[in-house]
Amino acid sequence: MLQILSDVIRDYDGFVELRYHAKTHQSLRVAQGRLESSTVRHRNGVGVRVLEGGTWGFASTGECSPSAIRTAVEQARVGARASAACRKVRIDSLPAVTLARGEFASPGVEDVLARTLEEKVALALEIEARARGASQHVPSATCSYNEIYERKSIVTTDGAAASFQLVRPEFRVSVVAERSGERSSAMESIGVTGGWDCLFRASPEAMADKAVGDAVDLLSARHPEGGRSTVILSPSIVGLLVHEAVGHTVEADFVLSGSVAAGKLGTRVASDLVTLCDSGRSAYADGAGGTIPVDDEGVPAEETVIIDQGMLSSYLHNRETAAHFGVAPTGNARAWEYSDEPLVRMRNTYIRPGESSLEELIATTEDGYLLDGPRNGQADATGEFMFGVQKAHRIKKGKLGELVRGVTLTGKAFDVLQTVDGVTREFQWDLGSGHCGKGQPAKVDAGGPYIRCQAVLGGHQA
Amino acid sequence: MTTNHTDLLSLCEQGVDAALAAGADEAEVYASSTSETTVGLEKNDLHQVRCVSETTFGLRVIREGSIGFATSNQPDSLSAAAQEAVALAKVAPPDSLNGLPGPATLAPAASAVDPALLELDAGKLAPMAMTLLREALGRDARLTIDTGAVSVEENHRAIVSSKGVRAAFHDAAAGGYLFGMCVEGDAVGSFSYDGDQVRRADSLREALSVAFARFVDKCAGALHPTEGESFRGSIVLPPETVHEFLLGNLLGAMNANAVRTGQSPLGDRLGDAVAHPSFSLTEAGTGLPGFALSPFDREGQPRQATPLISNGVLTDFLYNAYEARAAERDSNGHAAGGPTSQPSVGAACLAVAPGVDTIAGLQSLDQGVVVTRFSGSTNAATGDFSGVVKGGFLIRDGEQSPIDETTLAGNLYDCLKSISGISQETRRIQGTTEVPWIRIDDVSITAG
Repeated sequence: MLQILSDVIRDYDGFVELRYHAKTHQSLRVAQGRLESSTVRHRNGVGVRVLEGGTWGFASTGECSPSAIRTAVEQARVGARASAACRKVRIDSLPAVTLARGEFASPGVEDVLARTLEEKVALALEIEARARGASQHVPSATCSYNEIYERKSIVTTDGAAASFQLVRPEFRVSVVAERSGERSSAMESIGVTGGWDCLFRASPEAMADKAVGDAVDLLSARHPEGGRSTVILSPSIVGLLVHEAVGHTVEADFVLSGSVAAGKLGTRVASDLVTLCDSGRSAYADGAGGTIPVDDEGVPAEETVIIDQGMLSSYLHNRETAAHFGVAPTGNARAWEYSDEPLVRMRNTYIRPGESSLEELIATTEDGYLLDGPRNGQADATGEFMFGVQKAHRIKKGKLGELVRGVTLTGKAFDVLQTVDGVTREFQWDLGSGHCGKGQPAKVDAGGPYIRCQAVLGGHQA
Repeated sequence: MTTNHTDLLSLCEQGVDAALAAGADEAEVYASSTSETTVGLEKNDLHQVRCVSETTFGLRVIREGSIGFATSNQPDSLSAAAQEAVALAKVAPPDSLNGLPGPATLAPAASAVDPALLELDAGKLAPMAMTLLREALGRDARLTIDTGAVSVEENHRAIVSSKGVRAAFHDAAAGGYLFGMCVEGDAVGSFSYDGDQVRRADSLREALSVAFARFVDKCAGALHPTEGESFRGSIVLPPETVHEFLLGNLLGAMNANAVRTGQSPLGDRLGDAVAHPSFSLTEAGTGLPGFALSPFDREGQPRQATPLISNGVLTDFLYNAYEARAAERDSNGHAAGGPTSQPSVGAACLAVAPGVDTIAGLQSLDQGVVVTRFSGSTNAATGDFSGVVKGGFLIRDGEQSPIDETTLAGNLYDCLKSISGISQETRRIQGTTEVPWIRIDDVSITAG
């Protein structure tokens, strides 16, 4: 397709961007011993974006012939022309940047594509049965496998001509436990960019056993008291924090709309133990779920340091916002499907590891909680966040204590990051399953070390 | 341009034939053809015009009791998709309950296409979007719009199966939304959003104007919050929160799939009082007045209005054909989804019965919290929820003040029984859900 797009784009002046995107999504889900669904989904096409009259026009076609692509270019131009007079602030040009050219390799594609459907179905059935049979207190379990295989080619009139393919498998086990009318649930999941070894860095059997163990343990757990607490966040909760509560507020389109990060470049927003990055690469450990070699505007997806030892140092940009701020694009323009336009999105977001150990952090915590396993998370323009936490252990006088359930964590991201007083050497990507939502879904990942900070726990008032 | 009914039905028939030829015992093809024009807004300005159209089909086959499903947006790959679906069925374990439903008599389709909507192109939508944007910005100088849109969409849908199901539907809708917040100096308010969707061109501008005015009020009210208070007490849910929080979580438990697989805490409660007697919830079948839906569900079965909770008593669950067969009853027409996924179970439109209270009366409290938006986590297996109030207000002696870092914790099913008031006034949300304001007592509220 790269050649077809390159041939078509020669016909055009001005800015035109052509993006071929072929996506195959395989998914299967097992519950109660039954294969509830087994689906393969193909969605292919070309997305076309033009900059004309100082504004954007976008169109797409599921037919990938040169004539269909040319028709889509014309549709995009018509849309831009029809609306250009309404736009107040026109885009004069995009910043000059070294755009990607050539083919980019991604690990794991051949490995995952060589696995048969039979193998994947058998694995899901076996793991669901193992989870359901592991305890008399587990009446219900589900196991699902998802796999996205995608091929992209991006060509622009100002020089991008890049192609790549990648694969993102994902595996999930969920368990419901019940005893004497009391219920609880737990989930283990992983999503990566890469092959089978990367996906199953913990074996699927171990994932099932952990989900069962957590769900059963939570049956006898109490609710927390609530209020401001010292908390040690696991890499998965750190991932939620840096993605939801910091990452979204530094997406430059949101900054321009007035997010809490607006005007804070060069100011202190975290303790000096915190260096926070976003990258298309998989730093410190393989397989991060948001890995891309090139973004959907053809910009190489390098590492961006967002917070450098506590100081806000960069936003995340597409080419338009980079032009506005007078900086280089950071390779964060991403589109979910061929029929979606690229938006400013995160890739793999993380806090760099520090020098402490988890044991040291626990031993030096007088009164607090160790939080692990995200259930969900959302954040606001203000940086105020809410994370559901699967399980939390009380810490008293430097010792791990009882398990508590139904925990939510809230606070304002920059305020919480200012309180970080411990960062461990351990590092883990742990947010690669599921999707980030911002009008369109996106596969991202996030993680880091364990960190200790102050935040508010949701609790139950007597 | 969309593919018309005749061509879409023909595509479905070809897919069924291809699947049978590939070795399927039964086959079903559900297809849609969609055309959409969207004027996107960003950073208080017009951003982009987007024009997309696509034809997509989903092919479900059953072979020797096993199911396979393939979907594509490439109509010329029907045969390949049929072979792929059969290949998936070959490796799936058989299930004696698998089977496609047969044809059923459908109600006559109500008109869902206003020709004037189809005349709304980018040249007409862009000035309307900018006028609405200017109106919203003019209501409060502190408002900033992150994103928004005004759009129109035309859809054709068709389904054909080897069991004799054959149906098609044509609809069009227009709508829009705004997402943003108020900013004053260094103070940034909690973000908010609102929007609406209509079937008629002549009601689009008014509907969006009302929704956007509501959006501005929510943004302005969320600026300069102060710390809340910790107590057990009452919360007041506006219609959007009733929809997203209360109904969103409740419906998951009323899905027959969740009941069958042991994930619904309501699974054995049919006939029990599960809510306060003032609470009644109905799945409204073929749509609420003025917003007709197709007369058939994702499996071509007639959509049926289904009372789910009547005067507090759990009366029914939502079924598709498989779940109905497993429960040894008939489907009530709630197969959900589109061509890109196997039929699931879900609600298409909902109505909560109005109550007898005024909105002012519901908020007339010595102490309470108005939950404009709830950002939280609800455990589907237990109903336990915990999360933070967004853009909310503390009520103190009837007076309201914005709050932040205030969390709620409780149990959804306890909340249903603790309903202490429902408003007479209801609000239509996105054309398909009609809900009142609801007050709930005895919720745990914690200030940060």
